[in-house]
Amino acid sequence: VHFVAVDTAMASLSEEVLLVVKRVRQRKQDGTLYLMAERLAWGPEGKDRFTVSHLYADIRCQKISPDGKAKIQLQLVLHTGESTTFHFANESTALKDRDVAKELLQQLLPKFKKKANKELEEKNRMLQEDPVLFQLYKDLVVSQVISAEEFWANRLSLNSVEHSLSNNNKQEVGISAAFLADIRPQTDGCNGLRYNLTTDIIESIFRTYPTVKQKYAENVPHNMTEKEFWTRFFQSHYFHRDRINTGLQDIFSECAKEDEKGLKSMVTQGVKNPMVDLLSLEDKTLDEGYGTATVPTTSNSSNKSLRENSNSAIIKRFNHHSAMVLAAGLRKRHQILTSLFVAFQVKLQEAIEYDDLQGDSGRKTISLNLKKSDRYSHGPIPLQSQHYSTSQDIINSISIIQHEMRSYKPRLTQVMSSSAASSAITALSPGGVLMQGGGQQTINQLVPTDVQSELKHLYTAAGELLRHFWSCFPISTPFLEEKVVKMKSNLEKFQVMKLRPFQEKIQRQYLSTNLTGHLEEMLQAAYNKFQAWQTRRMMRKT
Amino acid sequence: MKLNIEGLLVYFPYDYIYPEQYSYMLELKRTLDAKGHGVLEMPSGTGKTISLLSLIVAYQKAYPLEVTKLVYCSRTVPEIEKVVEELRKLMDYYAKQTGAKNDFLALALSSRKNLCIHPEVSSLRFGKEVDGKCHSLTASYIRAQHHSNPSQPVCQFYEQFDAVGRQVPIPPGIYNLDDLKDFGRRKGWCPYFLARYAILHANIVVYSYHYLLDPKIADLVSKELTKKSVVVFDEAHNIDNVCIDSMSVNITRRTLDRCQTNVETLQNTISRIKETDAAKLREEYRRLVEGLKEANVARETDMYLSNPVLPDEILQEAVPGSIRTAEHFVGFIKRFLEYLKARLRIHHVVQESAPQFLKDIYEKVCIDRKPLRFCAERLRSLLRTLEIADIADFSAITLISHFATLVSTYSKGFTIIIEPFEDRTPTIANPVLHFSCMDPSIAIKPVFGRFQSVIITSGTLSPLDIYPRILDFHPVTTASFTMTLARTCLCPLIVGRGNDQVAMTSKFETREDFAVIRNYGNLLLEMSAIVPDGIVAFFTSYIYMENIVASWYEQGILENIQRNKLIFIETQDAAETSMALEKYQEACENGRGAILLSVARGKVSEGIDFVHHFGRAVIMFGVPYVYTQSRILKARLEYLRDQFQIRENDFLTFDAMRHAAQCVGRAIRGKTDYGLMIFADKRYARADKRGKLPRWIQEHLTDGSLNLTIDETVQLAKHFLRQMAQPFRQEDQLGLSLLTLEQLQSEDMLQKIAQIAQQA
Repeated sequence: VHFVAVDTAMASLSEEVLLVVKRVRQRKQDGTLYLMAERLAWGPEGKDRFTVSHLYADIRCQKISPDGKAKIQLQLVLHTGESTTFHFANESTALKDRDVAKELLQQLLPKFKKKANKELEEKNRMLQEDPVLFQLYKDLVVSQVISAEEFWANRLSLNSVEHSLSNNNKQEVGISAAFLADIRPQTDGCNGLRYNLTTDIIESIFRTYPTVKQKYAENVPHNMTEKEFWTRFFQSHYFHRDRINTGLQDIFSECAKEDEKGLKSMVTQGVKNPMVDLLSLEDKTLDEGYGTATVPTTSNSSNKSLRENSNSAIIKRFNHHSAMVLAAGLRKRHQILTSLFVAFQVKLQEAIEYDDLQGDSGRKTISLNLKKSDRYSHGPIPLQSQHYSTSQDIINSISIIQHEMRSYKPRLTQVMSSSAASSAITALSPGGVLMQGGGQQTINQLVPTDVQSELKHLYTAAGELLRHFWSCFPISTPFLEEKVVKMKSNLEKFQVMKLRPFQEKIQRQYLSTNLTGHLEEMLQAAYNKFQAWQTRRMMRKT
Repeated sequence: MKLNIEGLLVYFPYDYIYPEQYSYMLELKRTLDAKGHGVLEMPSGTGKTISLLSLIVAYQKAYPLEVTKLVYCSRTVPEIEKVVEELRKLMDYYAKQTGAKNDFLALALSSRKNLCIHPEVSSLRFGKEVDGKCHSLTASYIRAQHHSNPSQPVCQFYEQFDAVGRQVPIPPGIYNLDDLKDFGRRKGWCPYFLARYAILHANIVVYSYHYLLDPKIADLVSKELTKKSVVVFDEAHNIDNVCIDSMSVNITRRTLDRCQTNVETLQNTISRIKETDAAKLREEYRRLVEGLKEANVARETDMYLSNPVLPDEILQEAVPGSIRTAEHFVGFIKRFLEYLKARLRIHHVVQESAPQFLKDIYEKVCIDRKPLRFCAERLRSLLRTLEIADIADFSAITLISHFATLVSTYSKGFTIIIEPFEDRTPTIANPVLHFSCMDPSIAIKPVFGRFQSVIITSGTLSPLDIYPRILDFHPVTTASFTMTLARTCLCPLIVGRGNDQVAMTSKFETREDFAVIRNYGNLLLEMSAIVPDGIVAFFTSYIYMENIVASWYEQGILENIQRNKLIFIETQDAAETSMALEKYQEACENGRGAILLSVARGKVSEGIDFVHHFGRAVIMFGVPYVYTQSRILKARLEYLRDQFQIRENDFLTFDAMRHAAQCVGRAIRGKTDYGLMIFADKRYARADKRGKLPRWIQEHLTDGSLNLTIDETVQLAKHFLRQMAQPFRQEDQLGLSLLTLEQLQSEDMLQKIAQIAQQA
C-alpha cells in the first residue's frame, strides 16, 4: 500500500491519495484507479479528469470475481443499485493489485457505511412511518418529477430539530438477554455443528463479556483467524458453562477466571440499597451451634456430587449473565452519586408511605416529554384535516346544548307566519337556495373513490411542489434563483405528466364537475408569481 | 384525623383511614382494656404498624399509669427502622395538632454492628468481629488495667458515657439507629450502651425478637423492663421457630475439637494465674462457697452469654462443691467432653429424652445432674475471673456448658438425636448431636407471664387458633381482618394442570417427572411474556430449585424466558443473593423486566418486599412442605400430637400454607398495589389446604380458579392485568376502602366495619 500525498491537477482540492493502481480497465478503456480519503475515482489513460468517481458513502458493497477466473475484476455496487466494474489488466500483478485494492476498500467502507446507513435508515423510517410522504415520494421521485435529493433536501432539515434532540439523549440500544440462545447450532450433515453469527450477536457478546473482546483483540488476526477464534469460543467451557472447567489449554479459561473475579468483587462490594442487603437484615444471628436448622457441612465442594456442582455453576452463570447484560445497557449512563445515607432515608420514607391515606397534596408526577402533544392526546389523525375540536370542547358544547334543551320552552305566541316557515323549509331542503354550498357532498357521491384518491394524491403532490416553489421566496441568493427556476419547470412537468392525464381521464369518464380547477388555479398563481419575478429581474438587468 | 375509639382519643396522622384500620384499633383497645393477650391477623399493606402505634401511644397518653411502656419487636433491621419512622410521623402529627412539645422517648435498639461509632471497631464487617473488638476495649478488667496502665487502649466513647451519660437522661424524642449515632457523636458517648441504658426509661422501645425471646440475651438486655408494658410481636407468623431456635443446640465433632482446645487454654491460664495471682482464684472460690450467684459483679460490658435457661429455672443456691475450684471444674468439663466424644462415636441413629441421657451419663462417667445444671453459670464466673479477652474463641466451650445446663434443667419438651451421618451422604461420617427444643411455649412463657399485654400480629396467622395452642397461652382477642378493596387488586389462581392435562404438583413421587418440570417451565415462560416488570417465583427447597433450573437449562426453556426477561436466581450465599436482588430491582426499575427465582423459607421470602412493579406476579411452584424426613421434625410432630393434640398432617399443612401465604403475600403491599398470586400445584385446590390460607386471600379465590390449565391461567391473568393497568384514583376508593372522618362516623359504615373483623 502506498501512502502518497499527491497534489494532483485533477482534483480541485488537495486530497490524500491512498492508493494508485495503474492499468485498470473500465468499459474496455484503460486507465488508473485512485483510492482517496473519501472517494474512489478512475480516470482514463491520458486524460486529466475522472470519468468515474464515487464517494465511499455511496458504495453499498464490493464484489470480486472468483479465484481462477480469467478476468480479474472488482465490482462496486452503489446504494442506488448501479454498479461499476473494474478490470485489473496488468498481467503480472493483476491479482495482487486487485487484492490490495479490495483490502483497502474493506477497511474504508465500514467507516463511511455507518454514516450513509444512518441517513438511509432515517429516510426509510420516515417513509415507512408516513404513508402520505411515501405516496408523495412515489408521485414525485419515482415518476421523476423531481430528483430524490431535491425531495429530501428540505425534508431532512425539517426534522433536524427533532433529530438533534433525539441525537443528544439518544438511548443506547440494550442487549437481548437471549442473544446466546439465538446462536442455534445446526448440524451441517457431516458430523459437525454450524453456528450462525451475525455482527449483532458478536457485538452483544463483546459488550456483555469484555474479557472475550479483549481475547479477540489479543489473538485475532495474529494468532488465529476470526473463524478459528469463534470455533474455539463455541468449543470452550466458557460457552457451555454447565461443564466443569478442566482443561487449561483453553484460551477462555482465563475469561472464566476473570468473570469469577468480577463476580466476586461485585459481591464483596456489597449492595447499595440496605433494604435488600440480606447480610445485614438480621439484627442478631444465632451463634454457631444454636438453632434447629441443619448444620452446614464443613466441606463445601468435596462431598458435593459433580451434578450439584454443575447445577450451581449454571445458577451462577445466569446471575452473572443477567448482571452483565444489565450493566452493558447502562454502561454509558452516569451513576447518580447521592450519598448513601440520603438514599437510604428516601427508601425508608418510601417504604412507610401510604399515598392513598395521605391527602392528594404530595403527588409526585413525571411530566411526559412529548414532541407532538396533539398526536398523543388525539391519536393518529389524517394530516389533511385542519380543524378539530378537543374532546373537552365537544363535551362542553354537548352539555350546553343539553342544558339549553332542558330549559327550552316554546314561546307559542311569537311564531312566524306559515308562509315564511314554508319558504324557509324550501330554502333548507336539497336544491334550495341555502343548500347550494353543499356541493362537496355531491362530489363525494358523484365521483368514484379511485378518482377521489387520485385527486387526493395530486393535491398532496402539488402541495409539496408548491411548497418547494414558494419556499424560494424572497429570492436572495443565486442558489435560490437557480432553485426557483428549477421548481417552476418541475411544476410544469407536473402539470404535463400528472395533471393532464388526470384531466383527460375524468373527461373520458364524462364527469362534468371541474375537479381540477382549484389545482390549476394554484399552479397559475405560482406561474404568475414566477412571471412577475422574472420580468422584474429582466428590468433590473437592463 | 382525630378518632374516637370507644371513648379513647386517638390521633391518626393521615387524612383518610382504611375501615380495617379502625376495626383493628377497636380490637386492640379491647385487648389492652382487658390487660390480656391478643392474636390479630391483618393483611400486609393495610397500615398495621401505624394503627398499632397510634392506638397504643394514645392509650399510654390517656392512662400513663396503666401502660408505661411499649416494646415493639420486629424481625429485621429495615423493619425496625421503618417502625421508628412511622412513629416519628405520628409524633410529628401530635406536636402539630396539640402544639405541645413531645415528651415521649422512643428509640430503636440494635446490635453493636449497627450502632458502633468507634472509628476502628465500626469499620469491621461482621457482627461477631464488632462484638469481639468492642469487648476487648470495654470489658471491666480491661478498664481496670487501663487505670493502672494508661497505655492499655480503651474505647473513649464508652468511657465518656460511663462517666456522665447515665446522670443526664437522653432528651425526649424519636431516635432511630442513625439518630442515636448522631447523638452519640455529638456527645462523644457510645450509642450502643446509651441505648441499652435508655430502654429502661423509654416510653417506646423497638428492637428485634431475640432481645426478648432468647434467654441468653434477654437476661442481659431486657431483664429490667417493667411489667406494665405492652409487647408487640410484629410479623409473628414464625415466632414458634424463633423460640425453638433459641433453645436448641447442635454439637458436631468440630465443636468438640474446638472445645478441647478451649479446655487446654483454660488449664494453662489457670496454672499461670496460680503462680502469679493465686489470690484471685481463692477469692472466686470464697464467693462461690458463700453462694453469691454473681461471683463477680457483672458489668454491662462483659458480654459473656447469660444463662441459656429461663430466669425462673436458674438455681438460687451455691455452686456445688465438686466444681467450685477452677481445676475441678475444668476436670469436670473434660470428663463431660470425653463422654460426648464417646457418644458421637456411633454407627446408627440414637434418639433419647433428657432423663435417659442423664441416666446414661451418670452410669457411664458418674456425672450428677446438679453440677451439670451449674455448668453455664460456673463457666461464666471462671471466664470472668481469668479475664479472657477474646470471648469469641471460647464459643465452643460455652456451647457445651449451655447444653449441659439445658439438658439437666428441662426434662420435658426437648429431645436428643445423635446422627452418625447426613441422610444425603450416608458414606461420609459426620456425627451430630442435636439437642432440640420441641416446645416453643417454653421460651415465650416468661414473656406472657411477665408483661400485661402481648400482641401477636402478622399478615398471615391463619388458622388463628393454632398459635395460642402451640405457644400455650390464652388470648382475650383473636381476630382476622379482611382487606376492603375498591377493586380486586389481588388475583389468586391455582394452576393444577399443564396444557397437556398432566397434573402439576411438587408431590414427592412426581416432582422429578419430566412432564411436571416442563409444565412448570412453560408456566413461567408464558407468564414472562404477559406480566410487566417483575415476577418472583418460589420453589419448595433449594435443591429442588437447582434441579429444575438445570433441566430447564437443558430443555432450552430458560433461553426462551430470557427473550422476555432477565433471570436472577437466589443462591445459598447471602452476599451473592443480595447482589442478584439488587440487580433484579434495577432491571425492574429501568423497564427491562426480570424474574427472580427464589426459595420458600429462604431469606428472600422472609424479609424482602416486592412492592408494585418489583412483583407483579408471584408464582409458588409446589407446596412448601418442610423436609419431612428429618428426625427433629418427626420428634416435634410427635410431641405436638401428644401434648397439644395437633395432628401431624394438620401441623405440616399449616406450616406449608403459612410459608406459601408469606411468599405470595410479598407482592401485595397496599391497596394501590396489585399482583397475581399463582399457586402452581393441584393440591392447593383441596379444602384442607385452601382453608388454611389467610382469609384475605381465600375470599378472592373463586371456584372458577381452582384447577386451571396454563392457557386458562394466561387468559385470566391477561384480563386481570389489563384491568389493573387502568388509572386508579383516590376517588375510586373513597367511601369503600378509604374513609374520611365523616364517612367513618356514619352509622351505616360502623355497621359495615363491625363485619370486617372475624373472631376465631
